[in-house]
Amino acid sequence: MNNRLKVLRAERDWSQAQLADELGVSRQTVNALETGRYDPSLPLAFRIAKVFGQPIESIFSE
Amino acid sequence: MIGVNDKSARKSKTALIGMMLVGIAALFVCGAVAGYAEASGASVDQTVVTGVVVVLGVVGMAAAFGIGTLWMRSIDEAAQEAHKSAWYWGGSAGLAVGGVGLILSMLPGAASWTLPGFLGRSDPAAWAAMGAVGLMTLMMLGYGIVWAWWWLARR
Repeated sequence: MNNRLKVLRAERDWSQAQLADELGVSRQTVNALETGRYDPSLPLAFRIAKVFGQPIESIFSE
Repeated sequence: MIGVNDKSARKSKTALIGMMLVGIAALFVCGAVAGYAEASGASVDQTVVTGVVVVLGVVGMAAAFGIGTLWMRSIDEAAQEAHKSAWYWGGSAGLAVGGVGLILSMLPGAASWTLPGFLGRSDPAAWAAMGAVGLMTLMMLGYGIVWAWWWLARR
């Protein structure tokens, strides 16, 4: 699965650690998500969408 | 911004630290009592010693399981996935290696094998302990390798 996490984070000038704090996960998890090597659960995907204020489908794609 | 998950994680961490402190305190008290009894030369019935050790073993393992549960709930979902993967694949691989040893022990000539001692002892209970520790070591080795691989593959 592809995602726009890195772009959205860069637009806000956030570090991985800052995004990790917002999401309540570790920085390593944010890194794994950004590289597309770990697909989040549905609850985490909703949290990501909430933090960026965008619908899930605009962040994640097949 | 503190969400429900943050509060839950903080509660789990507090409970985890609390249980660890209680466990350490219990072990300290038991050690102090055993040391005092030994130093005073008091003769203690072996049945009592066995009973205390059984209770301590069961309580200790139950506490370890409880601490493990709280710790597992306190880590995030990717970390949980890494541990689940490590437990299944690494633990199973270690179990499979240990299984080879079990099959070898059923060979006709196995009864005459000379086994090394365990902690300076060479009696059936020591060998049983050696088997348990050997299997745990293999499983933990497999667990560690798969856990490290899981994270390295997702860097």
